[in-house]
Amino acid sequence: MRSRRIPAGRIPSGLPWVMPAMVVLLALSIYPMIYSVKVSITDATGAFTLANFTRLFHDRVFGAATLQTIVLTIAALGIEFVLGMALALLIDSLARARAVFRAGLLVPMLLPPVVAAVAWRLIYNPQFGALNGTLRWLGLNTAALTWTSGENSALLSVILVDVWEWTPFVFLLLSAGLQAIPTEPIEAARIDGAGAWRIFRDVTLPLLKPTILLALLLRAMDLVRIFDQIFILTQGGPGTATETVSLYIYRTAFRFSNFGYAAAMSFVLLAATMMFSRGLMRLMRAR
Amino acid sequence: MKTLLRYAAACGGLLIAVAPVYWLLTISLKREVDQFAYPPQWFGFVVTLQHYGNAFRGGSFGQYFTNSVLLAALSTLAALLLGVPAAYGLARFEWPGHWSENIGNWILSTRMLPPIVTIVPLFLMLREARLLNSLLGLAIVYTAFNLPFVVWMMRGFFDEVPREIEEAAMLDGETRAGALLRIVLPLVKPGLAATAVFCLVVAWNEFLFALILTQTESAMTLPVGIASRVTQYEIRWGEMSAAGVVAMLPVLVFATAAQKYLVRGLSLGAVKG
Amino acid sequence: MRVSLSLTLCVLLAACNRTPEKTLTIAVNAGVEGTALKLAAREWGAARGVRVEVVELPYANLFEKEQLDLTSKTGAYDVIMLDDPWFPLMLQGSLIAPLPHPLDADFIASCVEVCKDPKHPDVHFAVPYVGNSQLFFYRKDLFAKYGLAAPQTWDDVLGAAKKISAAEKIFGYVMRAAPGNAAVADFMPLLWAFGGDVLDASGKPVCDSAGGVDALKFMLELGKYSPPGYAGFNADEVSAHLLQGTAVMSINWPAWIAAMDDPSKSKVVDKIDFVPMPSERARGVGELGTWLLAVPASSRHSGDAFDFVFWATDPPQMKQAALRGNPPTRRSVFQDPDLIAKFRAFPAQLSSLDAARPRPRTPNWNEIENTFGIYLSKANAGNLDPVAAMHNAAAEIAQIQQRAK
Repeated sequence: MRSRRIPAGRIPSGLPWVMPAMVVLLALSIYPMIYSVKVSITDATGAFTLANFTRLFHDRVFGAATLQTIVLTIAALGIEFVLGMALALLIDSLARARAVFRAGLLVPMLLPPVVAAVAWRLIYNPQFGALNGTLRWLGLNTAALTWTSGENSALLSVILVDVWEWTPFVFLLLSAGLQAIPTEPIEAARIDGAGAWRIFRDVTLPLLKPTILLALLLRAMDLVRIFDQIFILTQGGPGTATETVSLYIYRTAFRFSNFGYAAAMSFVLLAATMMFSRGLMRLMRAR
Repeated sequence: MKTLLRYAAACGGLLIAVAPVYWLLTISLKREVDQFAYPPQWFGFVVTLQHYGNAFRGGSFGQYFTNSVLLAALSTLAALLLGVPAAYGLARFEWPGHWSENIGNWILSTRMLPPIVTIVPLFLMLREARLLNSLLGLAIVYTAFNLPFVVWMMRGFFDEVPREIEEAAMLDGETRAGALLRIVLPLVKPGLAATAVFCLVVAWNEFLFALILTQTESAMTLPVGIASRVTQYEIRWGEMSAAGVVAMLPVLVFATAAQKYLVRGLSLGAVKG
Repeated sequence: MRVSLSLTLCVLLAACNRTPEKTLTIAVNAGVEGTALKLAAREWGAARGVRVEVVELPYANLFEKEQLDLTSKTGAYDVIMLDDPWFPLMLQGSLIAPLPHPLDADFIASCVEVCKDPKHPDVHFAVPYVGNSQLFFYRKDLFAKYGLAAPQTWDDVLGAAKKISAAEKIFGYVMRAAPGNAAVADFMPLLWAFGGDVLDASGKPVCDSAGGVDALKFMLELGKYSPPGYAGFNADEVSAHLLQGTAVMSINWPAWIAAMDDPSKSKVVDKIDFVPMPSERARGVGELGTWLLAVPASSRHSGDAFDFVFWATDPPQMKQAALRGNPPTRRSVFQDPDLIAKFRAFPAQLSSLDAARPRPRTPNWNEIENTFGIYLSKANAGNLDPVAAMHNAAAEIAQIQQRAK
């Protein structure tokens, strides 16, 4: 794509085309951010204060929320990657009905997240849900399987829902990546007598690296600010077991009416998301 | 033998993917006494349509559905009207230095904003403009959501059309805008359609903004309605699932139709679908 | 194509911009209480020729929406239903409008107490609509079978739970201890019965007093006879166990009385009896949980709003609401012979309501309940020692109070 340098001082002729979109975006993203900054550094009387930011350091709940968000992100990412990769390889190796499997496997990620969360909330109910019900019918003792109702199992349950919902996404991306890589190196390795695992580890994986990174970065960005599913599944509970940063911000703003502190926390969240998106940009620019 | 195992595994994966959705469907069709029966009735249960009736005829889900449809349509249309020219401008014109890239990146970065960051200021902004609790206000917010995506996607599609095509038309006396409209757009119609589908799906599925920015049922959307079937003492599972089933049908239809472009859209064009 | 696109846009814009007629917007709690008010509102609106829009919201969301509307003065709601613990917070910012005239003497005193401004007790800011206070539910048939009288003290309760659960192989007791409102609501009667409280008169946390710790220890004792996983139970799990006949006793709200006697929902029809809260070191009191009706200060139709609120809480309307499942807040309605004939627990409910105690009146109750509930739940899940739980809770509550100054 040509980008000839035009003399400084001349208005780019493409500007009028871009202006309307930029104005809308400026109004609806920049202004709110400026407002958020103002709210976060003002206290109840209107005076300047950094208390909202200093509070972040000794707020144990915020620390726990951050930890939980990190745990959720890494765990979900790891599982989604492994499963997505396995599925991509599996479906790729099938001779027929590939399209059917692909269409079916994509269903979880196409649902409105709210609907997926409702379905899983139903299934997870320890007394009356389909999961424990089916397990019990198969003979298992489900007394300890409290899923989203138990403080110790809730986070894992939420992670599993995210895995169910978004592994198809990773699968799709990796599948497309697999189609795009050249077959010669793989053929050559096979002729040389290398086993399936060796081929995968030494040939396929390196070729897929850009796509893998892309998938991981995109998922990481979304996981860090996860909200909808957790809101429906557990509302951050039991207690604060599944409270991620987004939910804590929500609760602080809307249940405790503390907008200043919520704004301060939002900036931390924003910083984290920008970190991932910067990585994403750099990756995409590298092609 | 190995092939059989592979197919079995693939079927297993498919089953896991679809089973929860199927369960939701069954809950929406079961009587209340059967919903939590033991053992769980996966098949052969008594079918009732009362939950659909309660939700849509008696309840407010008909209103929510209409709202969701209007909102999705309006915000997609607006995003396209603003975003397509912007994408074209970024793709076709000369820009000083790295402007084009930077503007593109900046536009994309607004998509990365966690909604919770902007939600309170947006609430107050809409209140000032008297657009709170209105479909119009929500549509404006959703347009801002979808705009970066439209710009990014369409720019990729425009890049694939050789400049010579419009330049030939312009030499024949066509204006730039006319060339875009009559020559280029028809060429990227599939890409345009896919982008439109993505915008519709995003607007349809959106939850947090609709939750905060609406206050009465005249403006609430399907996701908000579904989430609000939780009362203080019990959860109206039948209505919730019925609404959930209806909420997911359009998306499944649309997204399957746009399947070919799913990869490009989801990976922001980095991987070709 | 451009023309058809613009046309579509215009049509859509027009569809979205429906001009509102004169409406009264009422925000209600999704559930029995809200349904009764919804029906009353429709009748009132039809009679007065005013369009009434009722917004039903789930409990947690109701507070958020109302609070957001009140503090940002959007005027979206003209009448709001509020749970009495929310009252101090909404009163604080002058967010709700004072009633044009005080409540009459027919209203039950404990319900009126929570509608007053503590600084000006003769000014009322809300009208009590649903008179809820906790009752003690127990299986009278099983108690009769084992020769036990109705429980008077918590020691009676524990004793009965031990005896019956061993003999019948069912759970002697069931309670909810999910973090937050659930755990706190089921704990307060115990806390009060042991002489403890959450805050003292000056607002300082005292939950780690001897009474408080003993109450929590007692709760854990009762927990041994409760279904496993009760540390994550909410109201519906508790009631499900009673209805299915798998538990013998629990604290519960009057809203569930109707279900207990409904054959389509209950396996224990006519087997459950309701008595006031057991005592221990102090007299047993149930927690008060009244729903109030108030008019936001930012409402643009306050005249009509107050008109509706007083109409809906007049004796005949309140009797209607009672028939629809809402315990009333007027003494005359509680003593109405038709209603007593229909609702066998009304006398028990009235005496419970007279003695009922509200939760601590503080604008920070949401946060306090949240923190307190987490610690209670942790202790019940066995993750935290009761003494430590109470100490930590007290420390955090003190911080909350401090921050709010």
